[in-house]
Amino acid sequence: MSKTEYILNVNGKSKNIVSSEDKPLLYILRDDFKLTGTKLGCGLEQCGSCAVLVDGSKILSCNRPAIEFVDKEITTIEGISKNDVLNEIQQSFKEFNAAQCGYCTSGIIVSLTELFNKKQTPGKKEIIESLSGQLCRCGSHASVLKAINNVIKLRKNND
Amino acid sequence: MINKYKINTGASVKDYNKVSDWLSFEIPNKINISSGKVDIGQHISTTLALICSRELGIDINSIFVNKLNTDITPNEGITASSLSVPNSGTAIRSASIIFKKNFLDFAAKSLNLNINNINLEDGVAKDPNSNASISFWDFSKTEDFLKLSIPEIIEIEDQKNFDHCSHVETKFINSIVKGEYKFLHDLRFDDMLHARIVRPPSYFHKFLSINNAIHKYLKDHNLKLYIKNSFIAVLGNDEFEVIKSLNRIKNSIEWEQVNKLANDKIFNLIDQNSKDSLIVKRGGEAFHENIPEIKSYNKVDHKTLTSEFNKPYLMHGSIGPSASCSFYKNGKFIIYSHSQAIYALKSILSNAFNLKEKNITLHFMPGAGCYGHNGADDVTYEAALLSKEFQNKYILLKWTREDENCWEPYGSASKNKLTATLDKNNKIIYWSSEAYSDTYLTRPMVGKLEYFVSRRFINNDFKKYKVEPRTGAHMGIHRNLDPIYNFKETRLVKNLVHDLPLRTSALRTLGAFANTTATETFMDDLCIEANIDPFEFRINHLDDNRAIDLLNDLKIQMEKDKPSENGFRGIAFSRYKNSASYCAVGVELTVSDNVEVELKQAWISVDAGEVAFKEGIEAQVEGGFIQAASWSLYEQVNFDNNEILSKDWDGYKIIEFDNIPLINTSVINRVGFPYLGVGEAVAGPTGASISNALKRALGERIKSMPFSQENITKQLLG
Repeated sequence: MSKTEYILNVNGKSKNIVSSEDKPLLYILRDDFKLTGTKLGCGLEQCGSCAVLVDGSKILSCNRPAIEFVDKEITTIEGISKNDVLNEIQQSFKEFNAAQCGYCTSGIIVSLTELFNKKQTPGKKEIIESLSGQLCRCGSHASVLKAINNVIKLRKNND
Repeated sequence: MINKYKINTGASVKDYNKVSDWLSFEIPNKINISSGKVDIGQHISTTLALICSRELGIDINSIFVNKLNTDITPNEGITASSLSVPNSGTAIRSASIIFKKNFLDFAAKSLNLNINNINLEDGVAKDPNSNASISFWDFSKTEDFLKLSIPEIIEIEDQKNFDHCSHVETKFINSIVKGEYKFLHDLRFDDMLHARIVRPPSYFHKFLSINNAIHKYLKDHNLKLYIKNSFIAVLGNDEFEVIKSLNRIKNSIEWEQVNKLANDKIFNLIDQNSKDSLIVKRGGEAFHENIPEIKSYNKVDHKTLTSEFNKPYLMHGSIGPSASCSFYKNGKFIIYSHSQAIYALKSILSNAFNLKEKNITLHFMPGAGCYGHNGADDVTYEAALLSKEFQNKYILLKWTREDENCWEPYGSASKNKLTATLDKNNKIIYWSSEAYSDTYLTRPMVGKLEYFVSRRFINNDFKKYKVEPRTGAHMGIHRNLDPIYNFKETRLVKNLVHDLPLRTSALRTLGAFANTTATETFMDDLCIEANIDPFEFRINHLDDNRAIDLLNDLKIQMEKDKPSENGFRGIAFSRYKNSASYCAVGVELTVSDNVEVELKQAWISVDAGEVAFKEGIEAQVEGGFIQAASWSLYEQVNFDNNEILSKDWDGYKIIEFDNIPLINTSVINRVGFPYLGVGEAVAGPTGASISNALKRALGERIKSMPFSQENITKQLLG
């Protein structure tokens, strides 16, 4: 089995990786970086559980080879909070208890982090587009939407 | 003035009547709660901690709920059927009350004080006139504590002064938002083997042979193959290599199809196949008695209507795949599972592997949300089996998305047929309701190991097993078939249909979703026929004041909100199992020119008895609403004569953020009334209220779920 060696930068830390060329980023994050907040849901890029940020843009990590992301800044759910301080979306999710089982939550927060980094106060259409493909089965959607509205409200108040 | 009232301490206390079975005080300033219920996203841990916190006056953050471990925690049976708060919550409340009462007696004696003169704060009793104090943790070290038992009936003080509505942060939310909450899938042990099952194309495929060329590939990739008759698994240290090998292995296997999966469409099969038909009497119990004909009434003084409702197979569809981790050494298992039925699994695995129960320890570890009997039990059995074959190593087995979609036991497809007669005063005087469905009850049990799907492949057992109808009140198919309304005469029939194609078992609410949807949509047809307001028509047929209060509450909530443009509203109501929570739902929706249904607003009124955790109740009913809306509008397991076709999320659509209405939830707090389970109450009223709003939008009752563009168009075009 041929293996290749490369360096990945995840949450500000670089690591030398040895893996098969086709090994998806998700498994490298979970196995090599021990970052298990990014979830394996379907392995088919259909459910959004494996979402991470690459140079600030959301990608689904369950199929795309990790080697594609050499020289990129990869941010996982664990890297979204800095020095144990939650970002505003995480904080709002916490205040609104916006999770049930929590399996889909990482992917949803990652998606929203991308959106709120790019838009100061996104509209309904942009929010729905951002969350398209982020599946939740427990039905936490209503509390997630309340948490999102809270972030927007706080941003407007701070303007 | 403090009101006092008596409560029954409940089913769980019957088996575990010591306070120390439920509460422990081993760590200073901390309390640990033991519960036999598992947290599957329904916030049971927070609810139990809050109940204890309220009774003992201890900050919730100092109260911890032990994860279920079959060696330690009380056996409270399965976490199902909306019984966690009624059973475990009542037990913990009772244990807390008994503890506090006895602690105060102990403190009074130790401090030589009158009880009324003790200052109790944060679990420490203080003499206000000196520095003398004694704490919960001191008391817990005494023999008196270990002797404390909980009687069947206890007296409690009502908590009208307690703010039931204040915000409480749920137990795991901080670690969830940081990605630090550990699921079973995240377990790691040294030298652990990852595993996947190599599934055949259907339930009826027998393994014949494998191309030997595959063995070189497996060796080169450090993978192991396990084959026992038609049960095949692949294992290796690298999870991705295991996954990658699956298709290659499948392509190298020759299977023999010993049976077709189906030979007709499901609703034809439900009509045609043999059945066990039982009469269901008021109270909800089923009996093997002759089924009377449907009565007919003269048309001069009466109006008789009929209705039919079809529901397809629905899947649990957890977002994370079913998983289990097992270790076997020297005749003992250590197993991690996210099943709802951990204690039952201990007995069943003892039966399956011919081991004494004491040699099997099961630990609960969270999985993705679980809504009944999904793949969690099967995967636990499969992981245990593999760990016995590959001893001294932890085996972490996960199902694939295709496994999850095609091999879990579904909620059965079903059909309901109803007839009702209105008299001249628009009162329903006759109600006939028949439910036709496969079973909802194939949870594995001792002596029924064939309920593990892989057990059959291990034994090359391709027989079709006939299940027996269950007769207990509100069991699977006939759950909520008995309407809560005061109809003068009823004819209720449960039909267990045999030899249907797909594997079925418990999915959230079992038969209640279909039966309540059928009942409440027919109630709407009848109220339209009678030209009476839907609230008034229902109230005209109710004697239960809590039910009437709930409907009035929903009406007030709905009247507060302005109707949306082109919006149509529908309501529905039920009391789950006629004994758990009352729930009424209102929905407003629009239907676009190309027949797409958009949910605009929803209102939920719920009475779950005394409120234990308001936000927990809201999360359960709003989550249940969204899941049931998804069933109603989008979901259907597709299959052909040979295989299941809904293999992934493209083949099984569920609701997304683009169709979530604004939801207003009203929780009625019945202080002094027993806790009522709330996890399932909303589903039936949701299906019916959507159908009722749709009827007002389209002028026609859509008879088959899902209410998709395809099904609506098919019916409207005839």
